[in-house]
Amino acid sequence: MSNCNEHSGMETLVDVQNLKKWFPIQKGILSALSGRKIDYVRAVDGVSFHIRRGEVFGLAGESGSGKSTIGRCVLGLEKPTEGTICFDEINLAKISAEELRRLRRRMQVIYQDPLASLNPRMRIGEAIMQGLKIHYPDRAAEHRDLVIDMIQRVGLTPPQFYYEKFPHQISGGQRQRVVIARALITRPELILADEPIAMADVSVRALLLDLMIQLKKEFNLTYLFITHDLATAKYICDRIGILYLGKMVEVGSLESVYQKPLHPYTQALLAAVPVPDPHKRRKKEMPRGEIPNPINPPSGCRFHPRCPFATELCKQEEPELRELEPGHFAACHYAEQFL
Amino acid sequence: MTAQMTPNPEVEGVLTTEQWRRDLDRVGFVRRLLLARKWYGGDWWFVVVSAIMLIFVIIVGVFPQWFAPYNPRAEVGPALLAPGEVPLGYVLVTRGDANVTGLIDIAQPSNNIGFVVGTPASQALRDAVNRLKEEAREAGQTANYNPRPRRYQTIEDGLQALQENNIDGFIMNQSDAEAALANFPELVITGGLTEAAGKGFIFGTNQIGQDVFSRIIWGTRIALIVGLSSAVVAFVLGVPLGLISGFVGGPVDRVLTLIMDSLYSFPSIILALSIAAVLGAGIGNIIVAIAVVYIPTYFRIVRGQVLSVKEELYVDAARSLGHRSIEILTRYIFPNVIPSVVIIFSVNVSDAILTEAGLSFLGLGLPPDTPDWGIDLARGQDYLRRAWWLITFPGLMVSLVTLSFSMLGESLSEILNPRLSEL
Amino acid sequence: MEQKTVKDNDVLLQIRNLNVTYKTRFGPVSAVEDISFDIKRGEILGLVGESGSGKSTMGKALMRMLPRSAKVTGEMIFDGEDVMKYNEDQLRDFRGKRISMIFQDPMTSLNPVQRISDHVVEAIEVHEPETKKESALKRARTLIERLGIARRRLPDFPHQLSGGMRQRVMIGLGLVLNADLIIADEATTSLDVIVEAKLVDQFRQIRDEFGVSLLVITHNIALVAELCDRVAVMYAGQIAEIGPVEQVFDNPLHPYTKGLLKSVPNIRLDEREELYKMAGEPPSLTNPPSGCRFHPRCPFVMDICHRIDPRLDEVAPGRMVHCWLYEDHPEKETPTIEVAQ
Repeated sequence: MSNCNEHSGMETLVDVQNLKKWFPIQKGILSALSGRKIDYVRAVDGVSFHIRRGEVFGLAGESGSGKSTIGRCVLGLEKPTEGTICFDEINLAKISAEELRRLRRRMQVIYQDPLASLNPRMRIGEAIMQGLKIHYPDRAAEHRDLVIDMIQRVGLTPPQFYYEKFPHQISGGQRQRVVIARALITRPELILADEPIAMADVSVRALLLDLMIQLKKEFNLTYLFITHDLATAKYICDRIGILYLGKMVEVGSLESVYQKPLHPYTQALLAAVPVPDPHKRRKKEMPRGEIPNPINPPSGCRFHPRCPFATELCKQEEPELRELEPGHFAACHYAEQFL
Repeated sequence: MTAQMTPNPEVEGVLTTEQWRRDLDRVGFVRRLLLARKWYGGDWWFVVVSAIMLIFVIIVGVFPQWFAPYNPRAEVGPALLAPGEVPLGYVLVTRGDANVTGLIDIAQPSNNIGFVVGTPASQALRDAVNRLKEEAREAGQTANYNPRPRRYQTIEDGLQALQENNIDGFIMNQSDAEAALANFPELVITGGLTEAAGKGFIFGTNQIGQDVFSRIIWGTRIALIVGLSSAVVAFVLGVPLGLISGFVGGPVDRVLTLIMDSLYSFPSIILALSIAAVLGAGIGNIIVAIAVVYIPTYFRIVRGQVLSVKEELYVDAARSLGHRSIEILTRYIFPNVIPSVVIIFSVNVSDAILTEAGLSFLGLGLPPDTPDWGIDLARGQDYLRRAWWLITFPGLMVSLVTLSFSMLGESLSEILNPRLSEL
Repeated sequence: MEQKTVKDNDVLLQIRNLNVTYKTRFGPVSAVEDISFDIKRGEILGLVGESGSGKSTMGKALMRMLPRSAKVTGEMIFDGEDVMKYNEDQLRDFRGKRISMIFQDPMTSLNPVQRISDHVVEAIEVHEPETKKESALKRARTLIERLGIARRRLPDFPHQLSGGMRQRVMIGLGLVLNADLIIADEATTSLDVIVEAKLVDQFRQIRDEFGVSLLVITHNIALVAELCDRVAVMYAGQIAEIGPVEQVFDNPLHPYTKGLLKSVPNIRLDEREELYKMAGEPPSLTNPPSGCRFHPRCPFVMDICHRIDPRLDEVAPGRMVHCWLYEDHPEKETPTIEVAQ
């Protein structure tokens, strides 16, 4: 575990170093007694990155990439198996449970499923107010006004109308705005947005994205934006990291990664996303095979069984995430050929 | 108008304040009840009827003295009187030449008074003598009224004995008197001993002569006290244990589950019996015994619900907001677990009443003369042919109250459901 | 499993005036209102819409798999016969053999206690009972391999296969009986994007090889652009617009289509730098807006749109629109727009 002051700069809000999260698989009493080795699902297997203040950092990947787990570790909702998470130079592993709880005021979550993430028995006004009740209990007289103001700011008018409603009485798009309001009420600095618009209707997504961008400016927010939808990520992310099977394979500014992907997986991923233009159909061939089991990842470079450029080296040696251009990193032995 | 029907403010501009006030108004409880009518359709009246029945039962239980015409423990009439049956009047027959004016003349210990064995005549005589004693006492006199009873097999034997001056008086029922005396010209009717009650008893009387109806009314109070108290005790103990066990998990959970499962695996009557036997009789002990039987049910239901709600996303969201565990338990988990418990509570009450009746039936419950449905059922079981009313009415009451509680419990849980406001 | 010869009459399915109404606690819900369109042989038709547009109901209606509480009227002429008039036995024969469906959730579409080979063989046995077991197995094996699943996976159970493979098994179940039409209802929605891309290739391949028609029901507009020949846009239970995919994307006619296409994210950096934000939300189907159902959100709304619902008219060969902008009416103030050929 390293010190949080190492990679600092006033700019860095979140610093993740060599994060690993392994989930043990329960095998059953008999095998546990017989001393057989426990298998682990290596959801996150050594990921490092940092998030600058005020930016939108995207974490993209398919299923099994570990993106949601990383998000939860960054917010302290899961304890890492290994590695360090620093929030504003505070090492999350070194603070007490109570201090972590109070730290929550500064980092909040927007979930994918708004209906599931709202208490069905709590009215909207009350649900949003919880953050204030927890972190600003002494200003109780102002709570209601602050909540009304926030409801209005996320675009729900008249706010008093929505204040009294239950979650199931409003539409999906409106619910997601409520979730956003709930997250912002404590004026946090970091927002973990876990696929926030995936469940909204197509025509509503643009509105929600716009709202998130606008609120980011208004409240000086930093987003950790987790998504599997690279097309949407383009409209909000400043920098993006591509994950494959628990490892970061490419990181860089959105333009550089999308324009010049340096890792074969990134290339395949970008090509796979359909373009809403029938004249521009995909010509690139997709990698063979499927995402392997995270319990037993391939040796060396995890992508090697599917990579069209793989060599013997790729099978034996795991490539390091190295800087190929200023600010643009890739974990591939042969990344130079794509520059 | 559904919530979805309200025009989208983003398109149609800001809604007026009156609109949202009207909408707020819709959320009131009474309003929801009325809206529930649409939800239930035909069942709505069923629910209303059961609610009214239950309220009535509760009023009866709380104020039995308003409804019961007699003291439930008093022997107010002849035994085993059928419902509505008018009890017979009894008369004293004496020798015309003895110049007896009334019972008071021949009530000394030296007198003999006869009656047919096994008829209510003996009761009538006893009551009359007691009345004399009562009157004497009130008047301040001391007198010893204690005539010797003489039993005969038939009316004719008795009248014959009277004729032959072996006894001083004979008690017989009024309706037979005229016909019988036709054969005994020297005998006269001296006076009535009891008045016909005029009207009978609505539900008849039991083998001691207590009014069944009054006992039923007073029995409601016992049933409600025992039923509600044991349910409340079980609730107060079982629900928090279930909440904690499900939330905390780990060894605490395992130990508690083990205890509760063991209790649960006993048949409820056996368990209640054992506890009651250990604790002894008395209403408090009964309540405890029945409550213990039900704690595991609350525990299991609540624990199961907690386990599933614990995994819900909104609980995770609450944690990420910074809530403490206790706050999550009370504000997020408990309100979402409670609806399932409401039904259990109502079923619990009805079942507790049944269990208590069962215990009293077996003699392990309340003191024997308590006006209690179970006790009445027990005492009436031998009279199934002769006096069907002894068990029919207590049995009906148990069923009725049980039914009302269950039906109301189910409807309550629907009403408490906030989704009803969608209407 | 030979390639189908294209008949002179190349229309496979004709749907005329299809109406589906559900009975709910809140009143009748008109999920599909007066829909008419064709599906040609060997074409891939995309049916795109948001939630509540009625697209899933459409798919189920074509399979005649709606619950009893749904009232269905209209005509469905499949290869010359009106499917709406079929009785239960004919329907059972129809489903699976001539028309087949792939559902969204591959996890639950397959029987978890049945091996993959058994799934396919059973499908054959049910519809073609005279087939011998060995030849059925052989057919299953060949087909599964053609779909890209290794032969040795045949004795596996569904949970041993990945999501993408399960969807392929579902496709296989449709193909093994030489179905004429396969309906894919959000078949790729729950899959990863690379798996989805491969499945898109697979769909095209089976259409080329087997001549099968595909009805792709989805909310993913980019997917439709990638895969389909023709596209139908649904809104609030009606078809707003239908036509060849290039024409609809290059020149959308219906205001909803215009807005929708502008709000779809495009991964290419140099294209569509900003997303269009459409006002309002899809309407409730218990009480849809009067007249044209899109009028509360339409930037081109006219007076007549509030009152009268337009018809789905053919405004150019193969192009149909459901909008007053392109239809004549005596009460219209503005002139009708002519569509360039």
